[in-house]
Amino acid sequence: MYELARELKSRSLEGDVFTRKIRAKEVRYQADRFAGFEIRENEGYGLRVINPEGKIAFYASSSFEESPQAVLERTLAASQYGDRVKFHIPSYPSLVDWENLVDPRVQNIKETEMIELGEYLISRIKEEYPQLLVDLTVAAGLEEKSLFNHHQEKLSYAQTFFQVGVSVNQTKEGDIVEIFSERNWGNRELDLDQFLQDILLKIELSQRISEISSGQYPVVFTPEGSITLLLPLFYGLNGKNIVFGRSPLGEKMNKVIFSPLFSLLERPKEKWALGSCPFDDEGVVTEQEKPLIEAGGLKNCWWDLWSASQKQVPPSGNGFRSSYRDLPQPNFTNLEVKNGLRDRETLIEEIEEGLIVDSVLGLGQSNIAAGYFSCNIHLGFVVRKGEIQGRVKNVMISGNIYQDLKNVKEISRDNRWVGGRMLLPYLLVDPIQVEAKN
Amino acid sequence: MEEVLAELVKLPRAGEYLEIRLEKIRSTRITLQNSVVERIRQEEDQGGYVRVLNPKTSWWFHTFGGWDNLQGRVEEAIRASSTLPASETNVTRGESYREKIEVELEQDFRHQSLDQKIALLAEYSQIMREVSDQIINYTVEYQDRFQEIYLANTDGSIVYLEKPDISLSFTAVAKQGDTLEIYRNGVAGKAGFEKVRGQELLAQEVAKKAVQLLSARSMKGGKYDVILDPVLAGVFIHEAFGHLSESDFLYRNQPLQSIMSLGKPIASPLLSVFDNGNEEGLRGSSPFDDELTPTQKTYLIKNGILSGRLHSRETSFLMRETPTGNARAINYHFSPIVRMTNTGIEAGQQSKEELLQDIDRGLLAVEYLGGNTALELFTFSPSYGYLIEKGQVGEMVKNFVLSGNLFDTLGKIDGVGNDFRWTEVGGCGKGSQIGLATPTGSPHLRLRDVLIGGD
Repeated sequence: MYELARELKSRSLEGDVFTRKIRAKEVRYQADRFAGFEIRENEGYGLRVINPEGKIAFYASSSFEESPQAVLERTLAASQYGDRVKFHIPSYPSLVDWENLVDPRVQNIKETEMIELGEYLISRIKEEYPQLLVDLTVAAGLEEKSLFNHHQEKLSYAQTFFQVGVSVNQTKEGDIVEIFSERNWGNRELDLDQFLQDILLKIELSQRISEISSGQYPVVFTPEGSITLLLPLFYGLNGKNIVFGRSPLGEKMNKVIFSPLFSLLERPKEKWALGSCPFDDEGVVTEQEKPLIEAGGLKNCWWDLWSASQKQVPPSGNGFRSSYRDLPQPNFTNLEVKNGLRDRETLIEEIEEGLIVDSVLGLGQSNIAAGYFSCNIHLGFVVRKGEIQGRVKNVMISGNIYQDLKNVKEISRDNRWVGGRMLLPYLLVDPIQVEAKN
Repeated sequence: MEEVLAELVKLPRAGEYLEIRLEKIRSTRITLQNSVVERIRQEEDQGGYVRVLNPKTSWWFHTFGGWDNLQGRVEEAIRASSTLPASETNVTRGESYREKIEVELEQDFRHQSLDQKIALLAEYSQIMREVSDQIINYTVEYQDRFQEIYLANTDGSIVYLEKPDISLSFTAVAKQGDTLEIYRNGVAGKAGFEKVRGQELLAQEVAKKAVQLLSARSMKGGKYDVILDPVLAGVFIHEAFGHLSESDFLYRNQPLQSIMSLGKPIASPLLSVFDNGNEEGLRGSSPFDDELTPTQKTYLIKNGILSGRLHSRETSFLMRETPTGNARAINYHFSPIVRMTNTGIEAGQQSKEELLQDIDRGLLAVEYLGGNTALELFTFSPSYGYLIEKGQVGEMVKNFVLSGNLFDTLGKIDGVGNDFRWTEVGGCGKGSQIGLATPTGSPHLRLRDVLIGGD
């Protein structure tokens, strides 16, 4: 890719080349049994060129055979139709103090070790619940990213990832339940016994079915369940959506929009979290820590080079590409919802009648731009007089997060990493609209 | 390439089943935001996979970039597969096919210049812009993709397939005060550039609909009699029922097998549901699936009776049923899994007016934003709807979700329209394979007592 960068420079063009290489291994178990081993190798690059008129074009390929001249020629030809951009490809920082987050125990993990781990987890679940069927995946891999620009500067960064996912199925006539849980992290330091305990607790609580009538109730969202409320907010914080007027947050900077208990911050440099990186996928340095929502007030949003230039704000190090074949979009590194002071149990103890929501179906299927959610509860529990009664069936929750996040009443001290990049506590929101079938 | 593959598939010596896929994908994607060409992406992707099932052990799958060192990769896969734990599985073997399936497009999009493509999209943008001042953002997205695929296996089959795909979508965002509405619609097909021409009316319709939604009333939650339009009814049957017919959920789940046992009455006798990977010209169609099983029409429900399910070679072996040609991979980055192709509800007898007639107070739900299932639970979101009062279609409503239990809901279908049509836009996700073309078809469908989550 140096050749492409050199070609850019020699023709006095502005541009960058992003490459990503992933090598991952995965073992799969289906219905308690070993189901296969997979190796994935994927590598490619994306070239952005800004022509002398300031118009941009993009070309991506997984093939490295074509000459840099031909690739550049083709991209340049397309640029005459492109958007006239107001930003410049930045000069890259020198990052002497940054180290790659590569755990050799993940990078060099053997199939046999992954298989042993899978078998251990399944046998522990089956010991307690022999009638359940367990699907499981263990995945491990290495991701390497590089950036080259027309100044012939280069940045690169590598990190490992390790993932364990378990899905438990219990089928009875008239009742099918699926309980899913996963942990992701950059190194091998996953607390698997804690993970097992969480799954076993969910299974135990699911054994009894309990009912609730339609109405408004206090609802405790577990760390996984709180994605229901966060997803529409992510849409709103995206700088591109703000530029196009699709976000309700465009005019709300520094205004109080949520409960003073609710604070959200970005932590790009949390060691071994999966979103960590010294710079974004456009070469902009990520900050140490940055408040997004502080005590309910909007403080920052996510800007890539394009959206920042449109809004005339500095880019925030939030330009990320979902693969080498995609252009950058505003997105986050790692997030934290500030935790509170109380144990999660005490949040539940005070509920006269309400729900706990752990996962939902239908996420993102409403008008999330306007903040709406309306979801079937996939895994959730009825609480009465401070006690968990049992699992709910055929119950929906709905609302608008720009209203409901004003009604955050308590936040737990306990929190955990979700998806390897969101550190989330339990949120008590009151009221939430609940629709029940019965 | 055929000769190379013919030699490679002879390499297994111990009864292993081997598949090789080699693929070249060329695609162009263009996005216009507010009439400006925001994104042009041209892409080439070339690679393949080797998949081995060792009957004494298990599956070994390796996906890689490029087409180099194929013999080394096959030998390594065969060797490595022998070291895996046993999974007591196998595949139903097939016949040996040698075919070269090339497509001829009316207007081949590979021969259209970027200039021509962008000029057309710019016209659509202009049309959307002129609809109303309340349109604050309008997007025209275009994508074409041409896949060239070699598939080979130890049955001696070597097939070359070409798969073209083209899609165009319009998104409009309308705003009034604090109210923000988004509406999207488009066209897609296994077709040439002609598919995306002549869509001026649709572009205009999308922008108008977003504006109309501003003044639509938010729906209140509760239980309603509901008529699904053909688009939504198709999504409903795909999401709520189709996924349960995919045998990879079933093959080792005895309790679920007894719930889903063939011959059992499972739905209203008015309902017949099929999957047909061999329906000419649809996006989900292909002469062969990605395991080189010929595709076919499979009845999943016939007159309310559970009558079939969808198989790969492996689930077919494990459940001792015939393969149905439903093993599909979105591309060489993934292994084939059991998927639907083109899935539909067969037309019934009643006109839409007849379906409306005996609804006192209900809801006509139109098109969809999305859908999701977890076995017996489903939820899906219409784009919008209309209240029905005393058999008459009334006020436009928005922001609601239909949700329920599959087995309850299938029994509640008490009217099937005679106005069947296919919908080709959109894609289905399963596991990490997202965006597979799975057209759905249906007439209007009437359901009683459906749970609606509203505002």
